[in-house]
Amino acid sequence: MHTTIAQQVEELIFDSYESMYRMAYSYVRNEDDAMDIVQESAYKAIKGASAVSQPDYLKTWLFRIVIHTSIDFIRKHKQEVSCQELAEPAAWDSYTDFDTIEALDVLNERERAVIVLHFFEDRTLAEVAKILDLNVNTAKTTLYRSLKKLKVQLTEGEPAYEGF
Amino acid sequence: MKDSKLMDMKSDYQNIPIPAELKERITRSVETAKEELAAASPKASGAFSNKRGAAFKGEPAAFRNKPAAGRVFSIRKLALRTAGAAAAVLLFITAAANSSETIAYAMDRIPVLNAIARVVTFREYSHNQNNMEATVKVPAVSIEREDGTPLEEPTRQLNQSIEEYTSQIIAAFEADVAASGEEGRESLNLDYTIVTDNDRLFTLRFDQTIVMAGSMHAINIYNLDKTTGTLIQLKDLFVEGSDYVTAISDSIKEQMAAQMQADENIQYFYQTDMPDSNFDKIESEEDFYISEDGILTLVFDKYQVAPGYMGSVEFRIPTEAIADIVKEGYVK
Repeated sequence: MHTTIAQQVEELIFDSYESMYRMAYSYVRNEDDAMDIVQESAYKAIKGASAVSQPDYLKTWLFRIVIHTSIDFIRKHKQEVSCQELAEPAAWDSYTDFDTIEALDVLNERERAVIVLHFFEDRTLAEVAKILDLNVNTAKTTLYRSLKKLKVQLTEGEPAYEGF
Repeated sequence: MKDSKLMDMKSDYQNIPIPAELKERITRSVETAKEELAAASPKASGAFSNKRGAAFKGEPAAFRNKPAAGRVFSIRKLALRTAGAAAAVLLFITAAANSSETIAYAMDRIPVLNAIARVVTFREYSHNQNNMEATVKVPAVSIEREDGTPLEEPTRQLNQSIEEYTSQIIAAFEADVAASGEEGRESLNLDYTIVTDNDRLFTLRFDQTIVMAGSMHAINIYNLDKTTGTLIQLKDLFVEGSDYVTAISDSIKEQMAAQMQADENIQYFYQTDMPDSNFDKIESEEDFYISEDGILTLVFDKYQVAPGYMGSVEFRIPTEAIADIVKEGYVK
């Protein structure tokens, strides 16, 4: 039987939705928002499937959608936020507190994506570069830069050691 | 060890719980998209022009209707924390992009015999204010035939590449200055050296160091084959189709193991207890030069294959290890 690209995309979504969710969660750190992002990404992927010319890169492409959707989401909400008062802290309980993941906040959007894809989702640098549309050297440099920034953040309050 | 924090992060990441209703919600999204595709109605194409999109019709719309106080608070925090850093870094990222690749193609197959390359420091950028310091030396290269007639195209392309590379580094630094105001502490240094200049090769190496809270050291090397007037990549040293990546990687791993064995102060990301970050093989394009004594030498940026305290590291690849696959005339 002939499978269309749309069917392949659908399969891929159900194979990788957990990764998609974690990726989105690392950006927004909120269950509802992360679920919205994954839903929106899945929707976009199915709708856009016919435009994919290289089925080999479907997975790369799918993750790209998740990253772009996450970044769009954050940008939209930054603007929304600027006109709101600070909220009462009572609402904090809807957030699972992962301190270490919060440390990713020192990174910009691209750096965050590089760290998450390479270290957490075990993608090679070449794949990361493809997902983010960078050349491998740039991905590499971004990775070192990000690691450096993370060390600075993570080792705060601990004795510094040479090299970081 | 370098990565223990990172491994904590990774395990936290992998433990992010997947909400029970996620799959159900995705199924609905997928179904909506498929229905819309099937209907192929004109309005489907605009589904995402409205803010949340058609996929969420009929959703409980949890956050749309509630004041969503907590979410807003958290995102604000995120925005505040990232804003400063993001501006500073985005520009930086392109700085190390290796533009020699395009040049290698462009300059491919220009027959030149025994070109001569001359290098002068063309301009020097310096900045010294508060705690932001920079010194960037920008060379200009001129490539000539033996008889002194200039080779204009290779010269122009190499200089343009150097100009782009250095301008990006300067722009990134200036962005850091702008972003950090008077609070910033950063020291940037970019210098170049001629590593090799013999009958066959002319090699120009750039060393970029940035010291902030930590420091980074990135290297960019241009290798010009003087017999052809082209910039060459690692692969160009080897017979087409040969597995030079494995040959070189094996040699490097052997050297890493031997050095760590011999000296406990030497550490590489190799055979550590974190398989994810271990050095496995080189990329198909790495920075390299052929030393004056004819040995292929691979150069890695700081953090690339070893913890930061090791700095940038180099490995000399014994010619025997690649003798079968290397092209004539480059290594000895």
